[in-house]
Amino acid sequence: MIQLQKISKYYPVGLGRNFILKEIDLTINEGEFVSIMGPSGSGKSTLLHIMGLLEEPSDGQYLFEGERVDRMSEKKRTELHRGSIGFVFQAYHLIDELTVYENIETPLLYKNISSSERKSRVADVLDRFNIVAKKDLFPSQLSGGQQQLVGIARAIVSEPRVILADEPTGNLHSDQAKSIMELFKELNEKDKITIVQVTHSDVNATYGNRIIQIRDGHIRS
Amino acid sequence: MLISYLKIAWRNLVKQKVFALVNLLGMSAALCAVLLLSLTAYREWSFDQFHENKNSVYQIVNEKYLNGGDKPTITKSVAEPLAAAVKSEIPGIRHTTFIIAFDLPIRYGNNSYYLNTKLANTDFWEMFSFPMIKGSPKPKNGALNEVVITQKAATKLFGSSDAIGKAIEINIRGRWVPYTVGAIAENVPANSSIRFELVAPLESDPDYADIKGKWDVSTNPLFVQLEPGITRETFEKQLNILREKHYTKQDEFGSAKFRFKSVALKDFKLSEESYFFAGVNKYYPWLMLILSVLIISIACINFVNLSVAKSLGRSAEIGLRKSLGAINSQLFIQFWMESFLLCAIALIIGVMLAIGILPYYNRQFSQQLNWGMLQNIRLVAGIVIVFFLITLLAGGFPAWKIARQHIITVLKGKMTLNKGNHTRNSLIIVQFVVAVLLFSSTAIIWQQLNYIRKKDLGYNINTVISIPLDNATPAIIDKMKQELAQLSEVKDVSAGMNNFGIGTDGSSGNWIVGFSFQDRQVSTKFQKVDYNYARTMGMNFIAGRDFSRAFGTDSSAVLINEAMARQLGVKEPIGTSFEFSDMGQVHVVGVVKDYNFESLRQKIDPLTMAIAKPQDLSYMFASVTTANLSATLDKITKEWKEVNPLSENPPSYLNDNIRRLYEEEGRFSNMLMSGALLAIIITCMGLFAVTVLTIAQRKKEISIRKVLGASVQSVVMLLTKDFLMLVLIAIVIATPFSWYFMHQWLQQFEFHITIRWWIFMVVGFVAVAFAILTVCLQSIHAAMANPVKSLNRE
Repeated sequence: MIQLQKISKYYPVGLGRNFILKEIDLTINEGEFVSIMGPSGSGKSTLLHIMGLLEEPSDGQYLFEGERVDRMSEKKRTELHRGSIGFVFQAYHLIDELTVYENIETPLLYKNISSSERKSRVADVLDRFNIVAKKDLFPSQLSGGQQQLVGIARAIVSEPRVILADEPTGNLHSDQAKSIMELFKELNEKDKITIVQVTHSDVNATYGNRIIQIRDGHIRS
Repeated sequence: MLISYLKIAWRNLVKQKVFALVNLLGMSAALCAVLLLSLTAYREWSFDQFHENKNSVYQIVNEKYLNGGDKPTITKSVAEPLAAAVKSEIPGIRHTTFIIAFDLPIRYGNNSYYLNTKLANTDFWEMFSFPMIKGSPKPKNGALNEVVITQKAATKLFGSSDAIGKAIEINIRGRWVPYTVGAIAENVPANSSIRFELVAPLESDPDYADIKGKWDVSTNPLFVQLEPGITRETFEKQLNILREKHYTKQDEFGSAKFRFKSVALKDFKLSEESYFFAGVNKYYPWLMLILSVLIISIACINFVNLSVAKSLGRSAEIGLRKSLGAINSQLFIQFWMESFLLCAIALIIGVMLAIGILPYYNRQFSQQLNWGMLQNIRLVAGIVIVFFLITLLAGGFPAWKIARQHIITVLKGKMTLNKGNHTRNSLIIVQFVVAVLLFSSTAIIWQQLNYIRKKDLGYNINTVISIPLDNATPAIIDKMKQELAQLSEVKDVSAGMNNFGIGTDGSSGNWIVGFSFQDRQVSTKFQKVDYNYARTMGMNFIAGRDFSRAFGTDSSAVLINEAMARQLGVKEPIGTSFEFSDMGQVHVVGVVKDYNFESLRQKIDPLTMAIAKPQDLSYMFASVTTANLSATLDKITKEWKEVNPLSENPPSYLNDNIRRLYEEEGRFSNMLMSGALLAIIITCMGLFAVTVLTIAQRKKEISIRKVLGASVQSVVMLLTKDFLMLVLIAIVIATPFSWYFMHQWLQQFEFHITIRWWIFMVVGFVAVAFAILTVCLQSIHAAMANPVKSLNRE
């Protein structure tokens, strides 16, 4: 599903280059649950951003379902970005001025989905995550775990094929982290959503079915 | 989608009250000012646009250079036979009419009213678009005693009864002349510079016979309408060919350089050369527009600076929306929507504010704005378009800047618009440049007006009362003179054909006479006056004496001023004699010290005065000695009303008349001052908000500095320094501009102040004081805060 071929990312420093990722080859198949691990600054977040089309590689090819992303038109990429990829962040990144309901609804707005369908899809997700009662609250009124729950709800409401999670439990204590990870596992197994997560925690990494170690811009295992 | 945008925009507004308030207040005040100012400018420009023939009607004026001066003098009156000559000798002239303006008493039954009266030829109705309600303005069989009155005048005179055919009397030149009402016209539109309540045929003027066919008297302005296809240039060229033919012998101006020019109907209101010029400088509407642009840009800059700074706090949201699939244009629209919402609220408040202060504005600046003007679709469309442009300007730039931020930097919370400080600082400088510019201009205008008020004009303005004689008969004038002589307060009484300044009747005029002296052509301003003139006015003599009955009739005597004496260039001006106009041989009996008989805009021209016939007198002057100036004025006013019940314009002190002469400048400086004040306030509000934001950003830095031992003063200094620098740069930029513009403005006054360097120092000091006050309050607050608090939060 995701194929990275000789992906590099570097910044010019003086006369040379400062590599963040160096010639990464990686294939992630549909339905996998992959954990990317590595020390700080090893380039794992950058790798995730490149997969999520948030950043462009300096070199190499990125194929999404066999199609070269760098050859796609802007429109197609936006399409892909909106329709197939969902993001979950360490800092939740909920919009403070919007309620839980509205936060979850936002990606659907960008997909130009009709109002009635938006309503039913948001309602489904709220129901599934057991947060119906909280739908009119603002993020500041929720606990961290609940906020991340909303963050995940927002990520799956547009029915993506891949969820890219950047240390989703980094700001949570272990109980909350556990339930979030179980939720991921369920999404992966039941909904067949491919999940790629970046994590520091060995425990969380075990929820996935593959662990990728990254160090100094290289894949170690 | 839109609803979602509006929702988030609204919640953001509510959340960030300080910024919303600053933006809202600044924007609504600016929009209110812009609305009023641009409506004022629009109104000035809309004058006379309703005439169907607005592109083919012209007034003929003549332009001459006095004594080789480089500024032309325009006189607006031409000789009577010119009308016929123009029509018969120049091809392509469709209509011609003279227009004479009066305020005349009209009598119907036992009631008499003053009506704004015009005497005109019948072509008047063809040339100008004043529709009739009833009757035709062209009398059958050419009767000369039929008049046209407006609806308003008809109601005033006859109430609800039918006006057509009613017999009235008009007091023209002191005589009651019978007329009948021939037609009723619609009321003159408010934006017409030609105003009347009654129009009578020109030929019915009892004095018409005196000017008919005479090339050497120019008393009335002439208007022509050209056939389609005839250009103004060809017309003027033909006109000047005509001039050479008819004026060679009887050149009334004594100057070969005199030539004809034309003034287009659409310029009647704002051109100084037009007969209907209302005293509004033609640049003032432009200046109002510029002022509104300046004010609105200051408000827009606030908007931009605050939006950009504010968006720092929303970096996560922006990044997030991007990661959810928002493209730049969608983010742009979202942020623009927020600005739009704010601007729309500001517009509503601004309009309400404008409606609220409109009566005050009209009173304060003598404007006649009304909201009926907004029925004009094009005007409303214009306002809407301008409003959209403003929101695009104010909201678009920050939106564009924010939307372009790179997603990763934003997500990491590192959105530094610090590079934008460059933009922000430049914008703050622009604001202060505008504020300082307006402020220093106001200060200089104020100084000049003060100078005008205080300047010794060479005659007594504080204790001389001017009485407009309207159309009093010589008998009434004599009676009044006697009555005045009996009052103990009255020292001297005299009269003249010209007023000083602008009297309660609002009129002014001049008369230029040329003659040959020692084989040279010289020209002079000419005034006819009464005995005791110089003494009554408190003028000083260089040599000779005043007009006096003690020397017989003094009918061939003239008084001249110093400028005239210089022009004659004789060693001993007293006793010099010359052939003068239609008076024949005259001799100089006195030389008065130069005095400003015209406004201080003009230099003191050569002036010659001769004794007037009683019917030439238009103003009586009485110098008084009294402890209670206003009581004496009331007394004389009452006396005058008794002697001449038909009088309309009340007597007034000369200083009042002089003040009226500079009313336009006074009004303009008031407007500018209000604009400057508004600009400074809005600028400071913006500065305040930007300071709040900057300090919020630097909270951690401040805390660390304090922990490391920085004193409160040093922190305040740190925060204030940057902004003060901006203000100082702005002062340096604004000063030369201000000096240049004000220098130009002062050139319209022959007598003016010189711009002193310290005025800019004072203005600069005030600007700095305002800025320090704004910034310091916040800085001190931040510097005094407990550093542990903000460090803990990190």
